[in-house]
Formats: sequence, structure tokens, C-alpha cells
Amino acid sequence: RCRASGDGKPEKFQPPPKPVIIDKQKQRAERRFLSPEFIPPRGRTDPLKYYMERKDMIQRRKVLNIPEFYVGHVLAVTTADPYANNKSNRFVGICIQRGGRGLGATFVLRNVIEDQGVEICYELYSPRIQAIEVLKLEKRLDDNLMYLRDALPEYSTFDVNMKPVSRLDHEEIPVNKLQVRMKPKPWSKRWERPKYNIKGIKFELPESKMKAAQKWSQPWLEFDMLREYDTSKIEEKIWQEVNEGLKT
Amino acid sequence: MMPIWTKSGKKHAVTLLKVQDCHVLRYVSKEESGGKTAKLLVGGKNVSPFSKPESAHQIFKEAGLPRKQKVTTFNVTDDAIIKPGTPLYAAHFRPGQFVDVTAKTIGKGFQGVMKRWGFKGQPASHGQTKTHRRPGAISTNKAAKVYRGKKMPGKMGNIYRTSFGLKVWRINTIHDIIYVNGSVPGHTNCLVKVRDSKLPTCKKYNKNPPFPTFFADGDEKLPEDLFDEEIFQFTDPSVTYT
Repeated sequence: RCRASGDGKPEKFQPPPKPVIIDKQKQRAERRFLSPEFIPPRGRTDPLKYYMERKDMIQRRKVLNIPEFYVGHVLAVTTADPYANNKSNRFVGICIQRGGRGLGATFVLRNVIEDQGVEICYELYSPRIQAIEVLKLEKRLDDNLMYLRDALPEYSTFDVNMKPVSRLDHEEIPVNKLQVRMKPKPWSKRWERPKYNIKGIKFELPESKMKAAQKWSQPWLEFDMLREYDTSKIEEKIWQEVNEGLKT
Repeated sequence: MMPIWTKSGKKHAVTLLKVQDCHVLRYVSKEESGGKTAKLLVGGKNVSPFSKPESAHQIFKEAGLPRKQKVTTFNVTDDAIIKPGTPLYAAHFRPGQFVDVTAKTIGKGFQGVMKRWGFKGQPASHGQTKTHRRPGAISTNKAAKVYRGKKMPGKMGNIYRTSFGLKVWRINTIHDIIYVNGSVPGHTNCLVKVRDSKLPTCKKYNKNPPFPTFFADGDEKLPEDLFDEEIFQFTDPSVTYT
């Protein structure tokens, strides 16, 4: 290496620059998941009531690990059952709906056992639940999979002794863009109507029926400002509160 | 309203009542009030003094307290008299006790006879002319008059009603919250009067309450949460049957 201003004296040894390690795992934004039952609904109740509920919910989560799950995941739930052989009951199913807020939050699991469709509604914070395991992680195109009742039974059957699918922590949860085929009409609800806004069904109805269903569309709803409920700031505060509660 | 689970796994619905700045305002003796027992005037939530005339502030000035939104009377025996000005807390009640809750019901306005009294009305079709929700006949022929108190349309709701025999499941001493079984009359955040139950079957559960009341500056140091024996506390592991 040539020196710009020759001095004659030996230059002090410059060590080579340290390699900069870019940790891609940390660079990816930390995925924050706040369970939807923590978000308080819009109303006139005192926020103190939600605060007391959240304390109880955090307390229960410290004892029972409630994993992060969405609608479309396949879960296995073991509950205490006084009338069963081993006093415990294990049910495997796909989560089709998550409802309720606060301690009364519920989720419905559906499975087809021996050609009989079975749906069980579990309360997340009930003390009878002993374990919740996520067997398969995949989000679906909709928030509410109630249409699986009118779909062909193959879409709701899941093996009771299914092994949990392994998954890395930081990966995004895959979205399954499956379009489900339905049984012939009549259905329990008219799923083709825009009110349900379902994207996960492969409608094999004639074009005239699909156009007739659009008569019930309410395009003004998306511009209704009174229906907007911006939960981003509330979610931030609650997420911090829940995290601190779970750490201690 | 919130769910609560017992140790056997059963779910009960529970209403949360907050005790907000309750103070004893005045003591009225038996002879003064003309009743059978002495009375204590108790005031509820603090509210600004500027919306009422000075004459209404007399009671509060005597006790040295800010103006309260609601003032109620409690019939008290002579040995349970409390000095005016003492604050009352949620720890006055204990879990396992039974309680009566009084409040003004939600006002529904002028309502017809079907909603107000639960009349069946008339069929929707088969030749009914302009008569679907009307009361029909209001008296008999022989009576030749309409009796007093006949159920007719009128203003519904916004009256005091009591729900009796509600069990107290849990008490939070820091935020002064009472968890009471079942539902309570009134809308959300309305003012409510809570008394010890008068039902004869609940007398044995109301033994040994803090008498005459719970004093915060006394010797007793209560834990943050007081639970009933049967409640499943979330610090315990999940319920299992044997």
C-alpha cells in the first residue's frame, strides 16, 4: 500500500475494519400479536372494568399457555371431563370462529368424526381447559369459516392423531388461498351475498345468480365514518401492558 | 358483567359495582325521623357544586364534604351508628355475603301494552282490522267500571327496582369493586344502592360482617383481593376431576 505523505517512520499498525454482522432475524420487525379478545369494544363502560378483566386474563395466561392462533388453524384442546374415562377429553379441529371479548372469549373448533360433523365452542379462559396445542398453522382468506358447514366434508376432516407441523418462530404465518367447493344449495346461509364478504369459496353458481346476489350489496358501508373504530393506539398500550404483565 | 368460574368448573355471570367516594352525611335519630329505627344519610359519587343552589349544599357543608350526586337513607340500629364524615369502602361487604341491589331501571319511555305488561296482542292476519298490538277488552260487563291499577300503556322504566339475594363473590380493596352475582337493575355506570339482604334464607350467610363498617385507618390490613371459598382463582392450576 502506498502512503500519501511519506514520513520515513513506520506507520502505526491499523487493524482491518471489523466486519459488520447484519442480523437479519432482528432486522425483521418484531411481529406483535395481540389476541383479539384483549381489544375492548366501543361503548360507554368504564375502562377500569376492562383493566380488571385484563389482569385476570394475564394471570390465567401465566398458568396456561394460550398460543397465538388465528381462524383456520388446526388446534387440539384437552379439557377436564368428569364423565370421560381418563377424566380428560382431547378434541382436534379447525378453528372456524373467534368471538367474545375479555374473559368470555370463545373459539369454535370443527371436525368431521365418522361422517358426523362436530363443532365445539370452547371458552379460552375456562379453568377446565388443560392444554391448547396448535397442530397446523395457516391463515385462511376469511375471518369466519362458518361456510365449512355447507362445504364438502373433506374440507373439515382432520386426523385426530395428527402430529404438530414444525415451524420456525420468525416466519410469517402462511395464508392458504384454498377455494372450497360447496355442497349443492340450499345452504344454511346465503354465502354468495356481499354481506358475508367471503373469498374462500369457489362459487359454481351461474353468473345470473351471482349478479342477483349483488343486489344486496351496501357499498356505502365502507365510507361510513361512524363505523370506523381505530384500535391502533389502544392496541399499542394494551400490548405493552400485557407484555409487562406476562414477563413478571 | 363478567364470567366467573367456581372450583367445580361451573360458570356464573357477575356484575362489577364500584364504590366511588361514599361518605356518611348525617345521622337522623328515631324520634326525629318518626320511623322505627334511626337513619343514616349516605352520599355517593362526588360532583361539581356549581350546578345546584347554595341552599342544597347545607347537608354537605355540615359534614364538610363536597357535593354528592346521590343521597340515600339507610335504616340502622342504634349500635351501628357511624359518625358523619366517615368514608365507606367496598370492604364493608365480605365475599359469601348476600346483598340486595336497588337502582333506577332503564327508561323505555311511553310504551304500549305488549312491551310494558307482556300482553299477547292479536294475530297479524286472518281479517284483523287495525288491531295487532292493542289491549283488547279492559273490563267486564258486570263491573261497569275500569278497576284502579288496570294495566294500560304508559311510561315504562326509570323507576326504582331491587334485585334480592345476590351473592358477593369477590371484593377488590384497592379499586373498591364488589363482584355481585347475576344482573343488577339500571344502565351501565348508573348509581346503585347496595344493602345487606333482608331474605330469611340469607341470614345465616351474613354472620360476622365488619361492624359497624370497615375503617381504612384501623388495624386490619386486608389483601388486595378477597375471594369467596368456591371461586376458582386464576393463580391456581386448571381444574381436574378425580
